[in-house]
Amino acid sequence: MMLRVEGLRKRYSDIEVLRGVDLELREGETKVIMGPSGAGKSTLLKCINLLVRPDSGKIFIDGEEITSKNSDVYKVRQKIGFVFQEFNLFNHLTVMGNVTIGLTKVKGMSKSDALLKAKEVLRAVRIGEELWDRYPAQLSGGQKQRVAIARALAMDPILMLYDEPTSALDPQLSMEVLSVMRELSKKGMTSLVVTHELNFAIEAANSMAVMYEGRIVEEGSPEEVIKNPKTAEARAIFNGRSNYVLV
Amino acid sequence: MFWYDLASSLLIGIINTLELLLISAPLGTGLGIAVGILSSRKGFLSILARAFSSIFRGFPLLVTLFIVFFGLADFGIYLSPTASAIISFILCSSAYISEYVRGAILSIDEGQSLAAKAIGMNETQEFLHIIIPQAIRRALPSISNEIVYMVQYSSLAFAIGVQEIYSVAKSFNSLYFRPLEIFSTLAFIYLSMTALVTLLFRKLTERLRIPD
Repeated sequence: MMLRVEGLRKRYSDIEVLRGVDLELREGETKVIMGPSGAGKSTLLKCINLLVRPDSGKIFIDGEEITSKNSDVYKVRQKIGFVFQEFNLFNHLTVMGNVTIGLTKVKGMSKSDALLKAKEVLRAVRIGEELWDRYPAQLSGGQKQRVAIARALAMDPILMLYDEPTSALDPQLSMEVLSVMRELSKKGMTSLVVTHELNFAIEAANSMAVMYEGRIVEEGSPEEVIKNPKTAEARAIFNGRSNYVLV
Repeated sequence: MFWYDLASSLLIGIINTLELLLISAPLGTGLGIAVGILSSRKGFLSILARAFSSIFRGFPLLVTLFIVFFGLADFGIYLSPTASAIISFILCSSAYISEYVRGAILSIDEGQSLAAKAIGMNETQEFLHIIIPQAIRRALPSISNEIVYMVQYSSLAFAIGVQEIYSVAKSFNSLYFRPLEIFSTLAFIYLSMTALVTLLFRKLTERLRIPD
């Protein structure tokens, strides 16, 4: 298993956001997590790269327990790519700077090696050379998100986490980003994707989990879950929407 | 004769004022940035940094000047008027600048910090490579403003006997008693200095500007 989550719990003052989440992800698997806002999807993702500390429960990445006291948080995060809804590109750095900074400052790579690596991942997300010297403010939303994906990929992650990567984009720009994500999944990048995109789930994901009030209430293949939801919570999400899925 | 005498005495004043400013401005800015960084963090050093900035923003500069020049003498520390003025200006300007820097650091979107952590940066790397470069850019206009103030409050150094430009002009006026000409010239010199500071900071801001 590339990722195993056991009995994860997280409480923010009076609200228990995660109420015992169990989750598994095989190497090369892409799993989509859906659920209404406030279900705890984003918190779950942030716990997996330790941006949020869970109160209890265990997380294993590639067999190693990252929630144990002596695990190196910074090393763990280097192995996990994280893509944010709001892109969060470094505003003061160019496209190239955004992608190379982790390589040079965190991994200690030489400038020239970092540049080579950056070119490779930027091409993989279809960010052309003409954009490499631009700053985030000079990019479209879809370009920003693809650069953010490249920034994560440059670190050679063994797991990618996407936190609603297209929720801030219009449908046209979402397509660019989703197609890059789909390609990465097809190439075998292990991915956990929080999204509302049903088409992406059906076309790119191997499995799907539905979260509701801090728990995973249903799991299965994306088609099965979307077209024949078994629980009332999943039905409430997909009822009527499955007709719009273009497959 | 009057204008020649005025020019030659003001020139000495200008040199002394510039000496104060050219040392105080960079050191005050540097110390202000350091204190601002510390005060935006957690822990004991942050409390010290914030205490520093509260104290020297709370003391009127004139009082700080007197403490440094006359007060420290009680402890056997005798500083020249110029050294006392420089120290006081550094304390005062860095206290204000630290607040601008702290505010700028706190104003950086949390997403920048999350993204830095997500690629495996530790707190020092995150601060050094992501937060500070953006915060300094944001604080630059306020820092510029503080240096403009410094040009003007440097005139307070006359109170502890520094022969800076204001005190030179004042003495000159008591000889010739032509306040309109003397103080207008003085005002014009201050204006030129603040204009120069503003221009330099504008150039710097332009150079560091992030294209949008």
